[in-house]
Amino acid sequence: MEILWNDYLWPTIVIAFFTVVVIVVVLMAVAYTTYYERKVMGAMQLRQGPMTVGPFGLLQPFADGLKLFAKETIIPSGSNRVVFLLAPMLTFFLSLVAWAVIPFDQGWVLADVNIGILYLLAISSMGVYGIVMAGWASNSRYAFLGGLRSAAQMVSYEVSMGFVVVSVLLCVGSLNLSDIVMAQSGSWGFLNWYFIPLFPMFVVFFISALAENNRLPFDLPEGESELAGGFMVEYSSATYAMFFLGEYANMLLMSAMLVILFLGGWLAPFPFLEFIPGVFWFFLKIAVVLFVYIWVRATFPRFRYDQLMRIGWKIFLPFTLFWVVLTAGVLVAFDWLPGSA
Amino acid sequence: MPKLTIDGMDIEVEPGTSVLQAAERLGIEIPRFCYHDRLSVPANCRMCLVEMERSPKPVASCALQAQDGMVIHTDSEMTHAARKGVMEFLLINHPLDCPICDQGGECDLQDQAMAYGFDRSRYLENKRAVKEKNFGPLIKTFMTRCIHCTRCVRFADEIAGVPELGAPGRSEHMEIGTYVEQAITSELSGNMIDICPVGALTSKPYSFVARPWELRKTDSIDVMDAVGCNIRVDARGGEVMRVLPRLHEDVNEEWVSDKTRFAFDGLRKRRLDRPYVREAGTDGGRGRLHEASWPEAFAAIAQRLEGVAGNEIAAIAGDLADVEAMTALKDLMTSLGSANLDCRQDGALLAGPRGGYLFNSGIAGIEQADAILIVGANPRWEASLVNARIRKRWLNQAYYGPVKIGRIGDAADLTYRVDHLGSDPAALQAVLDGSSPFSQVLRDAKQPMIILGMGALARPDGTAILDCARRVAEAYGMVRDATEDEPAWNGFNVLHTAAARVGGLDIGFLPGEGGRDIRDILIGTRGGEIKVVWLLGADEIAAAHFGDAFVIYQGHHGDAGAHRADVILPGAAYTEKAATYVNTEGRVQRARMAVFPPGDAREDWKILRAFSEVIGKRLPYDSLAAVRSRMAEINPVFAREDIQEAGAWGVFGSEGALDAVPFASSIDNFYQTDPISRASDTMAQCVAEILDQAQAAE
Amino acid sequence: MAFIDRAARSLFLTELLSGMGLTLKYLFRPKVTLNYPYEKGPLSPRFRGEHALRRYPNGEERCIACKLCEAICPAQAITIEAEPREDGSRRTTRYDIDMTKCIYCGLCQEACPVDAIVEGPNFEYATETREELFYNKDKLLENGDRWEAQIAANIAADAPYR
Repeated sequence: MEILWNDYLWPTIVIAFFTVVVIVVVLMAVAYTTYYERKVMGAMQLRQGPMTVGPFGLLQPFADGLKLFAKETIIPSGSNRVVFLLAPMLTFFLSLVAWAVIPFDQGWVLADVNIGILYLLAISSMGVYGIVMAGWASNSRYAFLGGLRSAAQMVSYEVSMGFVVVSVLLCVGSLNLSDIVMAQSGSWGFLNWYFIPLFPMFVVFFISALAENNRLPFDLPEGESELAGGFMVEYSSATYAMFFLGEYANMLLMSAMLVILFLGGWLAPFPFLEFIPGVFWFFLKIAVVLFVYIWVRATFPRFRYDQLMRIGWKIFLPFTLFWVVLTAGVLVAFDWLPGSA
Repeated sequence: MPKLTIDGMDIEVEPGTSVLQAAERLGIEIPRFCYHDRLSVPANCRMCLVEMERSPKPVASCALQAQDGMVIHTDSEMTHAARKGVMEFLLINHPLDCPICDQGGECDLQDQAMAYGFDRSRYLENKRAVKEKNFGPLIKTFMTRCIHCTRCVRFADEIAGVPELGAPGRSEHMEIGTYVEQAITSELSGNMIDICPVGALTSKPYSFVARPWELRKTDSIDVMDAVGCNIRVDARGGEVMRVLPRLHEDVNEEWVSDKTRFAFDGLRKRRLDRPYVREAGTDGGRGRLHEASWPEAFAAIAQRLEGVAGNEIAAIAGDLADVEAMTALKDLMTSLGSANLDCRQDGALLAGPRGGYLFNSGIAGIEQADAILIVGANPRWEASLVNARIRKRWLNQAYYGPVKIGRIGDAADLTYRVDHLGSDPAALQAVLDGSSPFSQVLRDAKQPMIILGMGALARPDGTAILDCARRVAEAYGMVRDATEDEPAWNGFNVLHTAAARVGGLDIGFLPGEGGRDIRDILIGTRGGEIKVVWLLGADEIAAAHFGDAFVIYQGHHGDAGAHRADVILPGAAYTEKAATYVNTEGRVQRARMAVFPPGDAREDWKILRAFSEVIGKRLPYDSLAAVRSRMAEINPVFAREDIQEAGAWGVFGSEGALDAVPFASSIDNFYQTDPISRASDTMAQCVAEILDQAQAAE
Repeated sequence: MAFIDRAARSLFLTELLSGMGLTLKYLFRPKVTLNYPYEKGPLSPRFRGEHALRRYPNGEERCIACKLCEAICPAQAITIEAEPREDGSRRTTRYDIDMTKCIYCGLCQEACPVDAIVEGPNFEYATETREELFYNKDKLLENGDRWEAQIAANIAADAPYR
């Protein structure tokens, strides 16, 4: 009994508790990301953004959420009901599952698996299924076109993202995310982080992340002006909300990945600031990355679809391939390969 | 023939033509207020000033007779300055109340101030204010607006023949008004509203209710008397707002009687707007009328007609019926096997050759007559515009030559001098015998004329009087064919009072072979031999005459006929249908639809056409054009619109003893002669104020 | 040389960065938002808002039923019926404005000879039903009574320019 309690039940309860904590934190973060986005975009457009619900409009995300869930869920008569309802659930589920391997601080991770980065790649590439399913199940031309675009776009950019990750892995020598963060630690503070040696890769990763998340200027699957909402055109109420949450959670996830791979995860930028807990730095860095996300959205118009494909296949793919070879060559030439020293 | 030059154009005109008329003939418009084509020329407004060469001052063109060699400029600087100055003077005392003035939008002063005036005032002094006058129930006065053109005074004196208006006071104190406070007693008083160039005289019933620009104007024909005045019906939405005269030189010139102009408000009252069927009463009595649908009403009639023989059915057309409806009803009766038709509900049994029931000389022909014998008629009440034409003839003796007017009938003021020859048929007999003083007048006359009124014909001895009148006409050469020296002349004139009558006679809405006439029909209904009577707007027959007959009333007002009816079929009034009317001259004229009939009411011929289908005797016309070609088939006169000519002459009337009863006019109350005018509040007010005032004066 | 220049530009994303620089600059500019129900922008005296029928200071309604506004209304939104009042003066018995037809051109107030119909400064009269926007004479007179002070001030302010 003692064994059952100590070795199985108690850890399960602890893990479940932490899982719930992570989910709540992520969802809260998602909620305030929308607020953050509206405020920043508003400011860039000389507006004030939400400011009536609660002090400074702080309760706006909850009002929106309440509104969305209070509305009627409309299921188009020609749709495939099961797939139609499954698609947003899948998207939402996948966007949460990925957080299992993200380290918020030293040891603050639900599952410190050795192949964390592979897991993340796998999960994020599955995200496309939700969208393709939604596009197909809606039985609408707009949704279907949106789904097709999404599939092609995600596949294209995952290739170069993969190469970017490979170049980081070459430098670290481990697939464990905590190891990746720790590999960037050192006495020089932020100068140790990978975004300096691998700066072009950092930029490529960021841009690919935009595309992976269907964010502007690569939001062609949604394409309000041409597809009236794309794959989400038939969704309303709770199903729409799940897509929405999933998308923003994915955005946070991608930011977290960027922070972990290039910006030193929970590490403080300067050694003398190490007394501040790492989780603060981690979220601060995510917030900065999200700011850039929003900033880009406020600045650039949407790309044309052929331009999107051209950038993905003709520029990023050869460029990242070249850079992986270059990184490997440099590491070998100077004998900087991890583990060989 | 003087030749003159106006604005560089040469024109030759008859002597006596004014410069203004000459300019008008050239298409040059000269502004004017006091000048009116049909009135005398006072030249007091000075608006028509023009420049004449070799004249140091501008001259009033309306009063200046055209002379040889005149050179006139209507567009010169002097003319413009003169007009602007006159306009400024006229506006010194004219209030700026166009927004509340009913004349606004159709005001001569407004238009001419825009065209010729100055755009601001230089006067700071107070404007003159004049107290309103009471001109009776028809004319509303705003005497402050008056510009003293005196058109109304001249109209009353010259056209209407009631010299009740004048301009007492001089200069600043001059005011137009009646000398003693009274309502104007003319039956033509409404025309003063039209000729008033400003808003001083406006229509009382129309006051403040509408603006000229919101009215839909429809040219139509009046049915209040048998003159067939040409009118314009102004409507807004589904309501007639006013009736105005339309120019027709041969009929009404540009006047209409007050009844024509003001009785239209009767079209809004007591209307039949849905079919009614009378319930079967208890213990054999007659039950109440209750509302029904068209199919129910038709079914009730069809049920009653079952098993009734043709000669037990009769139809009577009223005084406002249109020819289309009478055609349809006649064809329906024929198909039912009935010959009992009549359109002469007053019992004046006119028929026979067309010349025997028309006003053969035409109304314009009065101007050529030099001896007029009026028998049993009071043209002033029965046909005001015929009376106005006789007065015009009498006034213009200097121009047309002398005229003598004799009258057999009651004493009445006809507004011109009349020799009263007696009041009973014996006087007519005396004229025929040559023993009357008027016989010599007729013998000497070149264009003698007899006007025979309904008061003489709607009597038991009517046909004998008709026969006597025909003999008078023949004896004194009133009817003659054209010779080389002079054109044809037919001075035998029947003055009808019902708008439908001549049309009914022309279409043959008369007893057929073996049919009963109006008197026999009523004998039949009283006696029970006639079981079903169809009244097409016939309201002048007392209910008692119908006995136990089943009465179908088709018409537009809840008047006498509708009260007695067993089934009511709501028809359209004259403003609500495209209809043909023939006036007393035999002139075929078309009325047009100005508004839609109220509620479920329909055009009358359509009702009859629909009913014929119900009883399986479908009338062979589906469109107005088809009805009209059927009319032309019955009588070719219906193919020709607006043509007046004397009818064919022949033998009519029947010899018989003449009664000694004096002639009386068929109209004792001018303002209320038909269902529409009886329903009219305005007409009721006229009776109360004008007729009673006249009676009180006597 | 030009090729190198162009290649360098696209490689270093200069256009994109300069664009982002611009939006970043705007981030720190003062905001132009008016916090509407609490703050309102200034209105010209000529502002053409909700209609009102005015009265004279003695309480007599100004409108004399001349129907010029009805005639000039390009949207035919005005319906007037008139008849003599008991004292014989010319007044409307019905003065309706269909606010859903009105295009707020202001021609009615230009046409009015007695400044009776005016488009006042009120623009906050949204309703929950369409029928409430079919204004009748009572509603318009009530508007006039409510806004008279401001309407009179506006007319006075605009008078020198007429």
